[in-house]
Amino acid sequence: MQLLWDELRQAVPLIVHGNPYLLSVIWFTIQVAVIATVVASAIGLPIGLAIALGRFRGRRVLQILANASLALPPVVVGFFLFLVFVPEGPLGSLHLTVTRKAVFIAQTVLALPYIVALTAAAIQGLPAGLLAQARLLGAGRLQLCTLALREARIGVLAAVIAALGTSLAEVGAIVIVGDNVYGYDQTLASATLYEANAARYADAVAIAIVLIGLILILMSGVSLLQQRGGGIRLRFRPAT
Amino acid sequence: MGFLWHELRSAIPLIASGNSYILAVTWVTIRVAAISTASALVIGLPIGLTIGLGRFRGRRPLHILANASLALPPVVVGLVVLLFVLPQGALGSWHIAYTLKAVYVAQTILALPYIVALTAAAVQGLPPGLLAQARVLGAGRRQLSALALREAKIGVMAAVIAALGAALSEVGAVVIVGGNIQNYDQTLASAVLQQVNDYTNYPYAVGISLVLLALILILISILTVLQQRSGGLHLRFRTA
Repeated sequence: MQLLWDELRQAVPLIVHGNPYLLSVIWFTIQVAVIATVVASAIGLPIGLAIALGRFRGRRVLQILANASLALPPVVVGFFLFLVFVPEGPLGSLHLTVTRKAVFIAQTVLALPYIVALTAAAIQGLPAGLLAQARLLGAGRLQLCTLALREARIGVLAAVIAALGTSLAEVGAIVIVGDNVYGYDQTLASATLYEANAARYADAVAIAIVLIGLILILMSGVSLLQQRGGGIRLRFRPAT
Repeated sequence: MGFLWHELRSAIPLIASGNSYILAVTWVTIRVAAISTASALVIGLPIGLTIGLGRFRGRRPLHILANASLALPPVVVGLVVLLFVLPQGALGSWHIAYTLKAVYVAQTILALPYIVALTAAAVQGLPPGLLAQARVLGAGRRQLSALALREAKIGVMAAVIAALGAALSEVGAVVIVGGNIQNYDQTLASAVLQQVNDYTNYPYAVGISLVLLALILILISILTVLQQRSGGLHLRFRTA
């Protein structure tokens, strides 16, 4: 245990003194997680709603596709984006290789399947009569979507948390598109990888502790919300 | 799109001719996935069953711990394992740092939460009467465990497939404990990372990505078939 203990002890002052490198990595990680999750939600919630509520051809195919894309290896997603971003690639003119923007895009693409697939599953898990009743009572498309989202909020929340969680922990895609440049486009996870490879274990441990701290905060937030949210409450507001 | 197409085509001869590097990496990956999942099953099934069936103090904290460990970032797990197995570390005498054995250990630890948490959840999801009835009818601990496993087999299979999938896609821990050494302790996923970072043309990276996607596709298909075939729960008590 000697080595682990030594590294832990050396890591503590790095965290306590607010090392500027560490602070900048924390800030960038939070930016990546929040931006990727917000953008993925903005794109993914409508798609998830459409899959769950829509009655169009190709709905099942779309759902299978969304579920399958949950299993896509991040390195493969990252490599595909890399080929799209390189100067010879289709989006080469945007000059995205090895930039922070590429990291934002990669994490958004990885977060999207979580939002789409888990939102659709949550809404499909609602009591069968609920949405049919709302339809019969004359709810419009927008009212139906609001109702579905409100009733399935625990599942939707779980989707958002899963998206945030991957953005925090994932390294495969961002290391490929962003090249893990020290102090520039590193997240806490990729910085841990970088420091461990460079055999600077105290720094790696400090970064890992902060990462675990962020994930713990996230998870406690979730359990709190889930306990407060309780079960499904059926509340129809009168149409105004 | 010409560029993407060109890259894709460049990989086809490598796969078609059974390139020895790609074959070797594929074989290492299959071994890593199989060995780590099997070890995690041996360790994790009893723990999952205990959490799911046991009636002892500390069962709930153990369950929360198992669920929380699902959210552990692989890079952090990799770092902790590395600090144990480095020559100066607690298990330094094993001499497994930067070897395939370290990769097995790290992946087993990463697979364990899937097996424990998902087995426990599957067992707890059984109809409440089923196990109580078996207890009343005088089933011993072993018979009860066997019954619970048989009835929750779909959930347990899903846990195995999740563990295999994680072993296939994961790079953070593998790269840290194994050093991502070409032709030695690379998995398909970590090989993609190394190929893209080290070379400026990508036929190998594309070829390896395609093999990885194919393996994942096979896993998902198996899961889908299993889930559809088994349908609901069959209640079958065999006479002792």
